[in-house]
Order: sequence, then C-alpha cells, then structure tokens
Amino acid sequence: MRKDFCALFKKDCRMLSSGKFFLMAAAFLALYTAYVNFGYIRFMRMEPYNVYLYDPAGTQTGKSPLVQTVSSMEDMNAVLLSDANGVGLDASAGEVQAVLYKGAKHVDRHRADYALSLLRPSVSPAPEILGTNTPEQKVRKEITCELLFFELAAVGFLGIAAILFREKGMGVIRVHAILPVQKDLFLLSKLAVFLLSDLAFAVLLTLLNTGLTDGAAVLPAVLLQTAILSLMMALVGLLCALLLKDFRQFTLAYLVIAIFAATPVFLSANTSVKLAWIGYHPFYHIYMGLKNAYFGTNISPGYYVGAVSVIVLLFLAVRLAFHREIGKEG
Amino acid sequence: MIKVKNLTFSYGKDKQALHGLDFTVEDGEIFGFLGPNGSGKSTTQKILTGILKGHGGKVSLFGQDISAVHGQKFFQKIGVLFEFPYLYANLSAVDNLNYFASFYPREQRRDVEELLDALEFKPDFLKKPVSSYSKGMRQRVSMARALVSNPRLLFLDEPTSGLDPSGAVLFRKIIEQERKKGTTVFVTTHNMVDADLLCDRVAFISNGNIAALDTPKNLKEKNSSHRVVMDYLYQGQRETKTIETPELEEGIPFAHDEIISIHSQEPTLEDMFIQYTGRGLS
Repeated sequence: MRKDFCALFKKDCRMLSSGKFFLMAAAFLALYTAYVNFGYIRFMRMEPYNVYLYDPAGTQTGKSPLVQTVSSMEDMNAVLLSDANGVGLDASAGEVQAVLYKGAKHVDRHRADYALSLLRPSVSPAPEILGTNTPEQKVRKEITCELLFFELAAVGFLGIAAILFREKGMGVIRVHAILPVQKDLFLLSKLAVFLLSDLAFAVLLTLLNTGLTDGAAVLPAVLLQTAILSLMMALVGLLCALLLKDFRQFTLAYLVIAIFAATPVFLSANTSVKLAWIGYHPFYHIYMGLKNAYFGTNISPGYYVGAVSVIVLLFLAVRLAFHREIGKEG
Repeated sequence: MIKVKNLTFSYGKDKQALHGLDFTVEDGEIFGFLGPNGSGKSTTQKILTGILKGHGGKVSLFGQDISAVHGQKFFQKIGVLFEFPYLYANLSAVDNLNYFASFYPREQRRDVEELLDALEFKPDFLKKPVSSYSKGMRQRVSMARALVSNPRLLFLDEPTSGLDPSGAVLFRKIIEQERKKGTTVFVTTHNMVDADLLCDRVAFISNGNIAALDTPKNLKEKNSSHRVVMDYLYQGQRETKTIETPELEEGIPFAHDEIISIHSQEPTLEDMFIQYTGRGLS
C-alpha cells in the first residue's frame, strides 16, 4: 500500500508541477512577503497625530515634549491646514479647546482625547498591557494570518480542483477503477500533496513575515490550524471538481465559495463593520482559530471536535462522488 | 473463466439495462460481445470488471463469485482497454506505462519499451507527452497499458477504434498472440469485421438481452442461402448466374468459356445481427 501511495503521490506532484502550481505558490509567497515587508508594515508605522498648542499665557507647564507650540491662532490654522490629521489645542481662553479638521466621529474623539492627555502625561493612568507583542509584531501577525487564510481558502482550493478537472477531462480517473490499488488512496494522495504544500507555504510565510524567533514560537499552533483549513478546502475543491461538469461551472462555484468563505470573515475581523450573525459563519471560527494560533490564545476543544467532524463528513461525501465518477460512461 | 447466470442490472426504477443474461467464456477463448450503442455491452463489461456493483443474478470470474473477489488480487489478473484512450496527457508514453505498471507486482510486469515496440509505436515519441500523439498512437499506448500487467483475462472495448487498417491488423495479431499465451479475451464491439476475424464465439446483445450466441461461422452458416453467384464469359458475352451449391457437386451446370468470379451468398455477421435483433449495429 505504501508503494501504491508513493506512485500516486509522485504522479500528483508531477501533475501539479506541470500545471505550474508550485511556481504559482512561490510567486504568491514572494508577492505576499514583499507586500508585508515593503508596503503594509511601513504604512502601519504611521507617526502619532501631531499635537499643536497655542498657549500665550504659558498655563500648560507639565505638557509632554510631543506637544509643539505655536505662537498664534493664525499659525495654528496654517499648520493644521498642512497637517490635516494633526490636533490643535487652544489654551488662550482658560479651558483648553481641541481644534481639528472633521473626520470620522469616533476617530475625532480619539484624536482629541490623545491630544489632551499629552498636556498632563504624568497624571494619565498607565494602561495594563496585555500580551507581549510589540505593535509591529502584532501587525505582522495579523497580516500574515489574513494572507495565509486567503491563500488556503481561495488559492489552494482552486489548485486542487484544477488538477482533478484535468484528470477528469483525460478520463484517467476511470482507469484507476480497474487498477489493483485501494481507491481511497487516489484521494488521500491528493490531500497529502496539498496538505504538505500548504504546510510548507505556511512555514515560509510565517517565518518570512513574523520573524524567525516569533514565527518559530507560533509555528506548531499555526501548522495545526493550517492543516485543518487546508484539508477542508482541498475536500471542498475535490467535491466541486467531481460534481460539476467542467471548469467553467467550477469558476462560478469558486466565486461563490471564495466570497462566502472569505468576505464576511475579513469584514468582521478587520473593519468596523459589525455582523451580528458572524458567529454562525463556519469560516469565522476557522479564521479565528488561525488568528488565535498566531497570538497564542487558547482554542476550545469543541472547535477541534467540530473541525474533525466536518473533515470526516466532507471526506465521505468526496468518496461517494468519486465512486460515482469512476463508474460513469466514457 | 467467466460464468454469467441470469444477470440483471438497473440504473434506476424504470431503467433496466440488463434483463437476465446467460453466457460462459472458456479459458483461452476470444469471446465477442456485439451490440449497438445502449444495448448493455458496456454495463455488462463494467459489472465483469468490478466497476459497477448492485447487479442481480450470478457472475463468477476465475471460479469465484464476483461480489467476493473484488480485492487487489482480482484487479491484478485483469487488463482493460477502454473505448477511449485514457492517458495522462502531460506524461510521455513511457511515463504513463511505468506509472500504471507500478501498481502491479514487479514479477508480473512486462517491459514497457518492448511492449511499445511490439505495438509498432514510433520510437521518436517515447519520451514526448501524450498530448502530442495522434489518436492511433494513443490507442497503442492504451493497449500497452492493458497488456503491461500480463493479465489472465483481457477486456477490450472497441479495440481497433481510431486505428488505420494496418493498425487494426496489428491489433488483431496482438490479440491472437495473447490468446496463444492462454489469455482469455472478452471483446466488446460493434465492429463486425473484428468480431468475425477474431472471436471464437460471439453473443448478439440488444436491449439488454442476448439474442444469439454461437461461433461466427455457425451463425452465418445456419442462415446461409447455400447459393453462389457466378460471373462468366460465354461466346464473348458476360453473364451472371445464381445456383444452389449442391448443383456444383457434379461440376458447373451450364455452358461457359471462362469463369470470372464465384461469390458465395453467405450472410455477413451484421446481416445475422439484424436478423436476430431486428436492428443494425451502428
């Protein structure tokens, strides 16, 4: 059985290789890494809001060195015109007034509170810091998690379906029906190829983008979550490829599944959009599993029971569809 | 080798494909299964090769009930040529055959390149991907795939389809050689020439029933009109006469100068098929 599995595994690797799958994965890895290191991280290293103070009477004696003083309200208006994110503080009339260009309501409030806190840095209560991640580590982990989720949910899934559609088109699936090989090995070898390829991708993406030390620390948990998502998506890809007639039909299903899997999760986890029903979305839990792995948060055993059950059910469905496919007319 | 008794199969409640087939195939025999598309040929072959399950009646291969023999040992003993050449288009002929052969015990496998040589495969294409092959070349590689495991029982579905006349002759020669080695061959076809030239016995199948089963010779003789048509020259004139064959026992019963041709009026296998089933083969 091991020999048969090796033959199938080798053949699947050749199929993927000839379909440029590995090349595509390497290109995505390079693209994501360049985006994280040369784009996203630099963008997220934004300086804090500049704070400008007009205090002709010199009442604010305990202010932070981050506060810049202006000599008149005209100067204040001029500096805010050139730095629209900056916050002005007018202390000329006794009580300090925040002056700023209007943005989103809650952001404006945040900017004003931040600027006022700089006037008395010594009395501002020091918040309790949770976790050990620096802001950059946190940003790196977040974006790496998102990119890995996207890669597994959308790109890898497309790859496995493409290879099976090719085999279906060539009719070779039917030949396997009369070969002295356990039919399930045909499916298992494909799952193994994709699982290994996804795990390798996860290792490289994590190490290249979160750093060797930080990456290595979270890697075991990340690989476990990667394996769960990879198997699920590979099985969904196999099922689609077995049930749908051709790749054209699949592209439509692919859009629906990719949008279903990815969009609400990204919206809910990364923007201020609130989706009350997101807890019922299966991929939200998978995404949070991956995110928790990157941040070292514990995951409930119920999640693993659910994930394993879904994988087993999907495998049984794929098996049924596969046995139907090999018995079809030529 | 194959024993089939009252074989039935249904694809759904109202889609009965086989209505109680009875036949046997002896060891080393070439058995033809003739029928038009949709007659039940492929369904029968799929049941015999273990692809389709859920049949009624009794089917035994190699002396064992088919429901009990579907392990890997069973598949090691059979070779199947499908109607279409199912191959990995991105791999070469050699890689395809090495891949498919790798599932069989080493001592059972034939040498891939020797096999392709016997099938007159163009050596220049050995390492080129199948996607660059003609239909005939693909059919040769498919035949090599069916033979690579030295099967004891060979199922051939339309073996000469896609081949030019010389390719068809070669395939018939290869099938004959297999039989000489003791391989049993089950040919599914609607090509009457193949059936006539190759098969020891043929079964006519139509609408899921076997309408007739005998040697091609017997089937034709039973229904022969026992007449010959003779073309001859007499006093410078070309003439044609149809005579009963017993009349020939005492010589040619008419005056003539020269016999040009004698044609027996034996029916073809296709004529017989139409006579038994009421429909054509194509």
